[in-house]
Amino acid sequence: MADTATAAPTTASPAARKGARGGGSLWRYVLIRFLLIFPTIFILVTTVFLMMRVTGDPITAALGGQLTPAQLEERIEAAGYNRPLIIQYLEYLGQIFRGDFGTTLDGQPVVGVLLRYGGATLELAFYALIVAFIVGIPLGMLAAALRDRWGDAVLRVFAILCYATPVFFAGLVLKLVFSVWLGVLPSSGRASPRVELQIGRIDNPTGIYTIDAIRTGNPAYIVDVLQHAIMPGIALGLLTAGVFLRLVRTNVIGTLAMPYIDAARSRGVSEYRLVRTHAYKPALIPIITVIGLQIAMLLGGAVLTETTFEWMGLGFQLSEYLKARDYVAVQGIVALLAVIVALTNFIVDIIAAFIDPRVRY
Amino acid sequence: MTLPRTLRSRAAAIALPTVGLLALAGCASGDNGGNGGGDAGGDNTILVGTTDAVTHLDPAGSYDNGSLTLQTQVFPYLVNTAENSTEVVPDLAETAEFTAPNEYTVTLPEGLKWANGNDLTSSDVKFTFDRQLAIADPNGPSSLLFNLESVEAPDETTVVFHLKSENDQTFPMVLTSFPGAIVDEETFAADAVTPDEDIVEANAFGGPYSITDYTFNELVELTPNENYQGLHEPAANDGVIINYYAESSNLKLAVQKGEVDVAYRSLSASDVADLAGDDNLAVHEGPGGEIRYIVFNFNTQPYGASTDEADPAKALAVRQAAASLLDREALSEDVYDGTYTPLYSYVPQGFAGAIEPLKEMYGDGEGGPSAEKAAEILEAAGVETPVPLALQYSPDHYGPSSADEYAMIEQQLEADGLFDVTLAGTEWVQYSDDRVNDVYPAYQLGWFPDYSDADNYLTPFFLTENFLVNHYADQEVNDLILQQAATPDPAEREALIEQIQTLVAEDLSTLPYLQGAQVAVSAADVEGIVLDASFKLRMASITR
Repeated sequence: MADTATAAPTTASPAARKGARGGGSLWRYVLIRFLLIFPTIFILVTTVFLMMRVTGDPITAALGGQLTPAQLEERIEAAGYNRPLIIQYLEYLGQIFRGDFGTTLDGQPVVGVLLRYGGATLELAFYALIVAFIVGIPLGMLAAALRDRWGDAVLRVFAILCYATPVFFAGLVLKLVFSVWLGVLPSSGRASPRVELQIGRIDNPTGIYTIDAIRTGNPAYIVDVLQHAIMPGIALGLLTAGVFLRLVRTNVIGTLAMPYIDAARSRGVSEYRLVRTHAYKPALIPIITVIGLQIAMLLGGAVLTETTFEWMGLGFQLSEYLKARDYVAVQGIVALLAVIVALTNFIVDIIAAFIDPRVRY
Repeated sequence: MTLPRTLRSRAAAIALPTVGLLALAGCASGDNGGNGGGDAGGDNTILVGTTDAVTHLDPAGSYDNGSLTLQTQVFPYLVNTAENSTEVVPDLAETAEFTAPNEYTVTLPEGLKWANGNDLTSSDVKFTFDRQLAIADPNGPSSLLFNLESVEAPDETTVVFHLKSENDQTFPMVLTSFPGAIVDEETFAADAVTPDEDIVEANAFGGPYSITDYTFNELVELTPNENYQGLHEPAANDGVIINYYAESSNLKLAVQKGEVDVAYRSLSASDVADLAGDDNLAVHEGPGGEIRYIVFNFNTQPYGASTDEADPAKALAVRQAAASLLDREALSEDVYDGTYTPLYSYVPQGFAGAIEPLKEMYGDGEGGPSAEKAAEILEAAGVETPVPLALQYSPDHYGPSSADEYAMIEQQLEADGLFDVTLAGTEWVQYSDDRVNDVYPAYQLGWFPDYSDADNYLTPFFLTENFLVNHYADQEVNDLILQQAATPDPAEREALIEQIQTLVAEDLSTLPYLQGAQVAVSAADVEGIVLDASFKLRMASITR
C-alpha cells in the first residue's frame, strides 16, 4: 500500500479535490513557477561559468602550445580574460540577458550553433521518447498485471538494465548486432550522404531530417532517414523506457489496489476494462511530470548517443568542442541547454498543474 | 475472454512497432544503406570517408592534412609532382624555372578561367602570395614562404617570384604544398581569411573539381570543373562526396558496409589489419612521409650540458646506446601491425637522397637491436649502468597507440639492465610548452612533411636555430644543410643530403624509429587510387 502514496491522482475524493483547489489558484502556481525559473537559470549559469574557469582562461586551454606566449597574451587580452573574474562574470551575465551565449573559437555564435544543430537533437529526443513510450508503458502495464510473478521480475530487471546501462554501451551493442553482424541498419550518421545532400537542398530545410525527407516527397529518403534513426532512438530511448516501465508498474499496481477499483470490480467490470480504463489513464499522469526530468537526462544522454552514432546534433557538437578545448563554446552550449531544461520543466509543470488539480503551491 | 483481449492488445502494442522497425531494417538490407535514396548523385560518383577535419577552405588559414586534401581537389597549383614521382613539373603553369639565382619565373597558358567564369591570370597568382604574406595567419602556412621577397606580374601570363636567398631548390616544392594553392582575387579578401561559405558561394575554384554542396566537416560534394586545365587528367568520375567522420571506428564500419567507397585517413592499424582480410575490400598503401622519433635534449639528458655530471662524450654514449637497443621491427609489427615501418634514417625512404645510416651504425648492424653493442658503447665511455632516463610521450597527440609504443620502448631500453626508464605521459597542450622549456630530457615527437623534399626533414631539425630547441648545434651540419638547399645539381644535392644524414646519425640529436605508410581502404571494384610521395589523394582519378 505504500506505493499508493505516489499514485492514483484521481483517487482523491471530490471534497479533497475541492480542498486542493482551495489551497492555491492555478494562476498563482503558474506565476510562482515562472518566477522560480530565474533563480534556477541564475544558479545554473553561474555554476557553469565558475566550473569552466577552474581550468584557467579558455584561450590558453584551447591554443596553449600552438601559439607563442606573446600571441597567447595578445588573444587573452583581446578577449578580456585577463580582467578580474568578477568583471568577466558580470559581463557574462549581461550577455546572457541579451541572449548572447558567446562565440566559439571558430567564430560562430553559440545561438547559431543551437539553431543549426538543435533540430537534430530535438529529432533524436523525439524518437527516444517514442521508444520510451512504446517500450516503457506497455511493459510497465504488463509488469503490473503480472505482479510478483516471474514475468514481473524479468521486466523489473529489464527496466533496471535499461537505465543502468551506459547509453554509449547500449549504442555499441546495437551497432554490433544490427550493423556489423546482421548488416541491416546503417552504422552512423543521420542519413546516407546522397540522401543528406538531397534533403539539404529543399527550400528552408528545418534541420529535422524526418520532416525534410517527408517534404521531398521521396519515400526512399524517408525510409533512409528512419533507418538511421532506429538505433540512436533505441539507445537513448531505453534509458527513459526503464524509468517509465517502473513508474507505470508502480502506479498501476497502486491504482488497482484503490477502493474505487474494488468497487468497480464488485460491480462486475472486467479486468481488462479495469486496467485499460480505470487504472491505466490515472497511472500515466505522473509520467508527464517525469518527462520534465527526463528531458535533462535525454539531453545528457544525447551527447553520448550522438557521439556514438555520429548524429550531428548539439550533443555531438558539445563533444567536439570539448575535444577542441573550446570552453567558450562548451560554456555557451551548456548554459543554453540549462536554460532549455529549465523552460521545459516549467512547461511540463504547468501542463501537470492543468491536468492534476492537486499540483498547487 | 477478457484475458485474450488484453493479451492481444498488449501484444499489438509491442508487435506493431517491432514489425515496423524490422520492415525498415529490411528495406536497408537490400543496399546496406550505401545508396540511400538512390537517385542522388551519378552512378560513378565516388563516396570518400575521412576523419581528417578541415580547418579552413581558404589556403591562407589552414595548415593541416584535412584542409589540404580538400584544397588539392578544388584549387589550382602552378607546379606539382606527377603521379609516383617527386620531380616538380608544371601543373597550371606552362613553364616554371629559375631564370636567375633568386628569380623563379612561371608562365601561364592564355585563356585560363575559374569555375565561376572569372579570368585566371598572373594577377591572381600575385594576389595569392601577397595575401599569404599579408595575412600571415598563425594557423596558416605563410611561414613556408620565408624565402619569398616579392611577387611580380609583368603581364597577364607571367609571374616572377623574387627570392631572398639564391638557388633555393626547395621553393618549387613549397609551391606544390600548402601555400601554393592559387585563389581568385575577385572572391578572396586581401588581408583576412575568407569564410568557407563565401568561397563556395562564389564558386571560386580552379582545380579538377568545384564544390557544389558544403556542410563544414560533415559533407562536401565535388563536381567536375569543366574549366580545369592542369597536369592531371580531368575527373574520371561523375563527382565525389566527402563524408567526414569523427571516429575512425565509424569510418571503418562505413567502408566495411559499403556506405563509403573509399576510407582515407585515418584508420587505426588494427582496423586496417582487420579490413585487409575482407574480400570485398582492397587496401591501398603508399610511401608515408610521417615519421616518429625520440628527441634528446642536449642540456637535460643524462650527462647533458646543464646537469651536474655534464660530459658530452658520455651523453653521446647514452644516445648511441639507446639507438642500439631499439627494436624497430617489434614496434612496427606489435604496435602498428606493419602500418608503420622501421625507419633507420632522418630522411624517410622514398625521397631522393634517403639512406639508412642508423642501420649499420647501431644495434646488430642489420637493423636489429644489440644489447652487447649498447653495453660496449656505455662501458667505453665510462657510463655507469643502469642509466636513469626520463622519457616523455604525449598520449593524445599521436594516436591511441602512443601508450603501447612507449611502453614497448621502455621495455626495450630496460630489458638488459642498461637503462632505468621513468616513463610519463603529458597532454599535448602542456607537453608542447614543456618540451621547449627543457623539461623533458628525452621525448616523443612526430613529423608530417610540409612538402615532398628531403630538405623538410633536415632544415627544421638540425640547423642551429631549429624548432626542436634541444640545444643541438653543429656548424658543419648547419652549413651543409644551407648548401644543399641552394645546390641546383640534383646529384650533387643528393650527395650532400646523404652526408648530412651520416653526420646527424653520429650525433643522434634525434633518434628516428618509425615511418608511417599512407593507407586507403576501398571497395574491391574501386580503381585509380594513387598514394605516392606527394602525400595527396587526388580524387579525380578514382573510379568504380
